[in-house]
Amino acid sequence: MIPVQCGRGGWVISSSKIARVVAVVSLGAMLAMGCSSKKTTGVNDGTGANGIGSSGIGGSTDDKAVTTGSLGSNEHGPLSDIHFAYNEYTIEAQDGSVLRSNATWLQTNAQSRVQVEGHCDERGSEEYNIALGAKRAQAAKDYLVTLGIPGSRISTISYGKELPACQDHDESCWAQNRRDHFAVSK
Amino acid sequence: MKRSTLSFPITPHAITLVIALAFIAAPAAAAPITMEIRGPGSQLSTMAVSGLKSLSGDDDHHISSVFINTLRKDLELSGYFRIIDPHAYVEDPQSSGFELGQFNFADWRSINADFLVKGSIAADGAGIKLTAYLYDVAQQRRMMGKNYSGNPNDAARMARRFADAILEAATGQKGPFDSKLGFVSTRGGRFKEIYTQSIDGQDLYKLTDNPTINLFPSFDRSTRYVLYLSYKSMAPALYLADLKERREARLDSPHGRVIGGTISPDAERVVASIERGGITNLYLITREGAEIRQLTDTNGINVSPAFSPDGQSLAFTSDRSGTPQIYVMSLAGGAARRITFKGDYNTTPDFSPKGDKLAYQSRASGRFDIWTIALGGGEPVQITDGNGSNEYPSWSPDGRYIAFSSTRDRRSRIYIIMVGNRKIISALTEGNGNDSCPVWSWWLGD
Repeated sequence: MIPVQCGRGGWVISSSKIARVVAVVSLGAMLAMGCSSKKTTGVNDGTGANGIGSSGIGGSTDDKAVTTGSLGSNEHGPLSDIHFAYNEYTIEAQDGSVLRSNATWLQTNAQSRVQVEGHCDERGSEEYNIALGAKRAQAAKDYLVTLGIPGSRISTISYGKELPACQDHDESCWAQNRRDHFAVSK
Repeated sequence: MKRSTLSFPITPHAITLVIALAFIAAPAAAAPITMEIRGPGSQLSTMAVSGLKSLSGDDDHHISSVFINTLRKDLELSGYFRIIDPHAYVEDPQSSGFELGQFNFADWRSINADFLVKGSIAADGAGIKLTAYLYDVAQQRRMMGKNYSGNPNDAARMARRFADAILEAATGQKGPFDSKLGFVSTRGGRFKEIYTQSIDGQDLYKLTDNPTINLFPSFDRSTRYVLYLSYKSMAPALYLADLKERREARLDSPHGRVIGGTISPDAERVVASIERGGITNLYLITREGAEIRQLTDTNGINVSPAFSPDGQSLAFTSDRSGTPQIYVMSLAGGAARRITFKGDYNTTPDFSPKGDKLAYQSRASGRFDIWTIALGGGEPVQITDGNGSNEYPSWSPDGRYIAFSSTRDRRSRIYIIMVGNRKIISALTEGNGNDSCPVWSWWLGD
């Protein structure tokens, strides 16, 4: 689940007839499988009996997958979130201690890997927020690297404003949503 | 679901516009045929859309209903007409004629109709033949007429074409309703999926079905392709759906993670927003995924690419000045030119069909409004009214309207606004989800 590091030789086009995705692998399992898991997600890989169904050509999943498939990881793991000011991606002073604590845990648990998820509040365009969330995730990764955590153990992904932790439309909620979340896998 | 619903319902040869009928003009009408039309914005012109006269039996009734209901809806959305309630019509279309001289204009003047649509429907084993006329009630003359032939499922599309022809007769400019709306919706649950529908709300089609996030649909001019971003592989990537061949391809980059993109009008090229190490730049690639070149190279964010109608220029959003602002660059090379200076958050540009203006969203008081700005210079013009947050503008192919998303009615829906008067707003989508990221296609082909 680290596509950036799953290097490819050039632009790749993978063309296929669309079919039902039989199983969607949870994020935790994706992380556990690392890069090679990308091929196992079955994205439009032509498997499945139904072929092009009522759901169109953009890929489909069965109903079970809708309840089990997941993006992001909001459960409380061993690492703590950090938060950002509006439209900012710099690490705030009070979050330095959070990141040092997270780094200590990662040094103690040397087999673990972490994916930093960058998130934004609901204000702003979808695409700009994905780019902003990527900056937030990268800022935390850079900070952890300066604390001695190998960059190879840290991946990043941005969900922009798509996976808010809090659903209300006020500043207290927005402040919670402008965050980096740290999802750990062994 | 039938195969025909998987691509756009009308195959290229399903509708044949036989001829635009030639007319012997009314005595006074040696001059070009134009309508005296009120509005938009003032009192609207009144339009009666009569039932079609059935020439081949009762089976035509359903087809006639589809045609007239679609036509009424499109004419209402146009913002030019008020449709007179059919219950007020005093004439029975089956017992009167539809040709000039075969009916009584007084029946329509008595209900204050400025304009009248009458026509006929004939069906046989081979399909349907539909004739529709536009009449000027006050001057008792026929202004325009069309013959259509096709299969019975084409009736709604014939109505959209006739609505577009009525706008052309009324304003000198063809209407935009024979086209598609693409958008993102959570109506199916909590996940954002890509849908398409007709502008008048029919023909809803769910393009994606995966329990993740799907965003940013864009059409090429032929409406054969839809490019979109999806997290369905658990990380964002661009997918190019081919609605004709009913297959799709994934576009990956060696440069990083693709977080957005758009397809060129001729479908030959794609501009992708690619993030690596927190830095996002734009790249020009072919439809098949071969890189042509990197377009931007700043140490920040460059996103929301939009092709000009001629495919030669690109508008996009960059934070290179310190805040998100809109820039335009030539794809032939050269520096990007900053377009927006007012406001501290301007994004999601879309070129007008003539290529002379951009629409975009600009933040004020924590919400967004739709603005337009002329590329030749001039002050930006606010289009939406500060009601809710108004985002993601997309021009209609005739340049007369903009579709956008708005939270003015709590949940986010897609709305249409007439650019010229900035007042007439109608919802284009309904349902129990939130709708966003609208994109208005070019006219559908023959």
